[in-house]
Amino acid sequence: MNDLTIGMAGSGGDGIVSAGESLMSAVAKQGYFAILTKSFGSQIRGGESSCRLRVGTEPVLNQGGTLDVAVALNWEDFLRFGGELPIGENTAVIYEQKCGAPPEALHLAVHPPGLIQAVPFEAMALQAAGTRQAKNNLVLGLLAHWFGLPGDAIVAGIRKRFAAKGEEVLQGNERAFALGSDYAGANPLVPARSLNPPLAASRCLVTDGNEMCAKAALFAGCRFFSGYPITPATEIMQHMQRELWKHGGSFLQAEDEIAGAAAAVGASFAGRKAMTATSGPGLSLKTEVLGLAGIAELPLVCVDVQRGGPSTGLPTKGEQSDLFAAAFSAHGDMVRPVLAPISVADIFGVTVEAFNIAEQFQTPVIILSDQEIAQRKETVAAIDTSRFSMIDRLAPTEAERVDYVRFRFNASGISPISRPGMAGGNYLASGIEHDERGEPTASGEIHRRMNDKRLNKLNPLKQRRNLFTIEGDANAPIGLISWGSVAGTALEAFRAARAEGIEAKLMIPRLLYPIAEEIYQEFFASLRTCLVVEQSHQGQLHRLIRMWVNVPSQFEAMARSGANPIAPRDILEALRLRAGPPVHSPRLQANNLPSPI
Amino acid sequence: MISPETVEGGIPKPAAYVAKDYRSDLKPIWCPGCGDYGVLGAVSRALAAIGRPPHEIAFISGIGCSSRIPGYTTAYGFNTVHGRALPIAQGIKLANPDLIVLVAGGDGDGFSIGGGHVPHAIRRNIDLTYIMMDNQIYGLTKGQLSPTSPRGTKTPTSVYGSLEAPVNPLLYVLAYGAGFVAQGVPADLDGLTKLIEEAIRFPGFSFVNIQSPCVSFGDAENQTKVQRAKMRKLEAEGHDTTNRNRAMELAQEYVQTLYTGVFYRDPNPAPTYESRMKILQQGQ
Repeated sequence: MNDLTIGMAGSGGDGIVSAGESLMSAVAKQGYFAILTKSFGSQIRGGESSCRLRVGTEPVLNQGGTLDVAVALNWEDFLRFGGELPIGENTAVIYEQKCGAPPEALHLAVHPPGLIQAVPFEAMALQAAGTRQAKNNLVLGLLAHWFGLPGDAIVAGIRKRFAAKGEEVLQGNERAFALGSDYAGANPLVPARSLNPPLAASRCLVTDGNEMCAKAALFAGCRFFSGYPITPATEIMQHMQRELWKHGGSFLQAEDEIAGAAAAVGASFAGRKAMTATSGPGLSLKTEVLGLAGIAELPLVCVDVQRGGPSTGLPTKGEQSDLFAAAFSAHGDMVRPVLAPISVADIFGVTVEAFNIAEQFQTPVIILSDQEIAQRKETVAAIDTSRFSMIDRLAPTEAERVDYVRFRFNASGISPISRPGMAGGNYLASGIEHDERGEPTASGEIHRRMNDKRLNKLNPLKQRRNLFTIEGDANAPIGLISWGSVAGTALEAFRAARAEGIEAKLMIPRLLYPIAEEIYQEFFASLRTCLVVEQSHQGQLHRLIRMWVNVPSQFEAMARSGANPIAPRDILEALRLRAGPPVHSPRLQANNLPSPI
Repeated sequence: MISPETVEGGIPKPAAYVAKDYRSDLKPIWCPGCGDYGVLGAVSRALAAIGRPPHEIAFISGIGCSSRIPGYTTAYGFNTVHGRALPIAQGIKLANPDLIVLVAGGDGDGFSIGGGHVPHAIRRNIDLTYIMMDNQIYGLTKGQLSPTSPRGTKTPTSVYGSLEAPVNPLLYVLAYGAGFVAQGVPADLDGLTKLIEEAIRFPGFSFVNIQSPCVSFGDAENQTKVQRAKMRKLEAEGHDTTNRNRAMELAQEYVQTLYTGVFYRDPNPAPTYESRMKILQQGQ
C-alpha cells in the first residue's frame, strides 16, 4: 500500500501521543510524507488522548478518513473519540486483551477475524521492561512488523528519547519494541498488508502550524508580539517569546486579550511589524482594537486559530466557524482582509502574505488558522524563501514631512505613514473620525470620504489571483470550493474524482474576505453545480460568497461542525452523485452526509 | 540640553523649547473653566523644561473629555479607544524605548473600563507617565456616575444617590507598587508642572492624579477656587516621599483632604521592563 492511516487511543498516561510522534519522526527520516493529528479531552492531565498518523509515499494532503489500523489501549477512551477514529470494513483492530471483546457499538461482529487482534499490551510491557509505561513502544514494535514500517529508525528514535533516562529504562523500552515485533511475527494479520518503501530519500522538516506561523512571522520581519495564552494558539506566543529577542524584537504577555491586541497596535503605531494570536473567544474580545487599527489605518496581523465555538465551545478541537466573526465583528463600515492557510506548509506563505498586505494597505489582517493545522505535525519540504519579497509600509518623504498630511486623499487611498521619532511626521492617530491631517471631525462629508478611502484602498486585493488555487477543467460543469484544513481533504477527493473521469474544477481561496467577485464569477461561468466544503454548521464561506456573487443554480454547502472531520470519501461520493445519473448510495447515508443547505 | 545644530529630515530644531512649541493649533473642545486647560498648560511647560523635541514624544489617551489632550499638543498623538490607552502605550514604549511616552485619560477611562490594565502597567514597570485627569464624573456623556464619584453622588444614573464607594486612585496605584505617585491641581499650575516634569523624569512607571474640576457637571465644592483654598502641599507638611507606608496613610484621605505634591518616590527605582528587555535582545 502507498498510504497507511493509523489511529490510536488510550488514557493520558499511556504515551499514545508520544508513540505517534516517534513513528512520525521515524517515517519522516525515511522519506515518507506524513501528517500526525492529536486529539485530547480538555483535561490538564490524564483523561483520554488519541492520535492519527497518516503516512504516504506521496505528499499527504489531510489526515485521511477511515483508519487502516485502530489501536485501543482501552475501549472506554477509544469510544470517546467516536467518529474521529472511524473503523471501516478493512480496518485492522488491535486492542488490549484484558479490556475484553470489542464493544457492540463498533459493530465488529462480522469483521474479518484475521484483522482483529487482542494483544496483552500491559502484561508484555511488564514482562519486557518491568513497567506498564513501555506499552507504547510495544505497540510500535507490533505496527512496525505488521505494516513494514522502518523498525531501525523507530528504535533509533527510542534510543534518543530515553538516552537521558538511564541505560535500564532505555533497554527496557527497546526490549518492549522487540517483543512487540516478535509477537506480530508470530500472530500475522490476515490479509497482511505492508506500506511500500518511500519513493525517494527526501529531507523533510517535521513541524506544526503554530510553529510554522511564528517562523514565518519572524521571517516577514515581525518584531513585536503581544498576546494572551489560549488553546489552541498558545504555541505561537511561546515560540515568539523564545525567538523574538534574538531578532531585536519585543514581546509582551498581556493581561488580557484586548491588551494583547492593543499593545500590538501600539507597536505598529511606533513603526514595528506587529502580531497577536488568539482563538475564537479572544477574537471576540479583540474586535474593538481591530476596529481601531482599521480607522487609524495601522498594519496589524491577528492570527485566529479556530476551535469549536461559540463561547468556550470545544477548546481542543478544530472548526471553521469563525469566518463570519473574522469578516464582520466590530462595528461600523470596515473591511479587513481575512486569509486562511490549508496546511502546515501553506501557513508560511499565508503569514508572510498577511504581513505584506497589512503593511502595504495599512490595515489589520486576520489569519484564520485552525486547530488541526496549528497542532498537527506535518512533513514539510524545505521552503524556498527566495520566492517571497517583503513589503514595508510607505513612509513619507522629507518633502512630505515639511507639511505632513497623514491621511491625505489620493488615488490609491494609501497615504504615507510616519512613526514617532520621525521628525516632521508628527500627527494624531485616532479612533475618532478625522480629516486628512488627523484632526478629529464630526463632519458627515469627511466621514463619507474617509470610508471611501479606507474601504476602496483594498480593491486591488480582490484581483490577487495568486491568493486562489484553481485546478481542473476550465469548462467543467461541476465545481468544488473549500478552505482551511478541510481544503486538503477536498483536494484529495477532487483528484480522485478527476481520475475517475469526472469533469470538475476546484477552487481553494487563501483570501476569504473581501470576496473577490470577479475571480468567483469567472470560476462559476461554466458551472451547473458547485459544492462548498467546510467544517461549520452554517457553511459560512458558502453564505458569504452568495452575498457578493451570482452563484450557479445549484450552489450547495457540505457543512459539518464538530471534531468529526469530513473524509475524502464523503466529498468524492458527493461529486459522483453530481456527475452521473442519480444512483442510490447506501454508504452515503451510512456516513450521515448532511443534506445540502 | 538641546543641541542647536541638530537638523533632521530638513526640519530645523530650535535651540531651546518653550511651552508653545508643544501646543498645536487645535482648539480644545473643553468647556470654559475646565481644569483640563491647566493640565494642558502644565504638560507643555513640563515638556519644554525637559526639552526633547515633540517628535520624540508619544502622547496616548483613551476616550473622554480629557482624552482629547494629545491632539492639543505637537507630539505624536494617539487618541485610542475607551480604556485601552495603557496597553497601547506599553506597546509603543516597548517598540521604541527611546521615546517619552505619556498616557492621559479620565477616571472612568482609567479606573472603570480600563481599570484592569492599571495593575499590569505598574507591575511591569514600563517607563511611562500616566496623567490621570480625575473629575469624579463622566463629563463627555453629560454627567453620569464615575468610579471616583463619592458615595451618595446624585447623577442621571444615580438619581437617588450613588450606592457604591469610590475607587481611590492613589491608594490603588500605591498598592500595586507604582514607583512614583503624585497628586496635583490645575489651580496650582507651577506645582503641577513640576510634578509632571518629575514624573516624566522618573525612570519607571509614574502616576500623577490631577483633581481636574468639571465646571459643567462636577461638584461645586471641587472647583478651582475652592481647590486653591483647600489644597495642602505635602512638601510643606514635611512628608517624607520615600516612606511608602506613610504615603498610603495619606492616600486614604483622598477626597477628604486635598493633598498636592509627591506622595511617593521610590528612592531605589526598580529596573524597567525595557532595561531587562534590552539585555535579552543583546543575547546576554
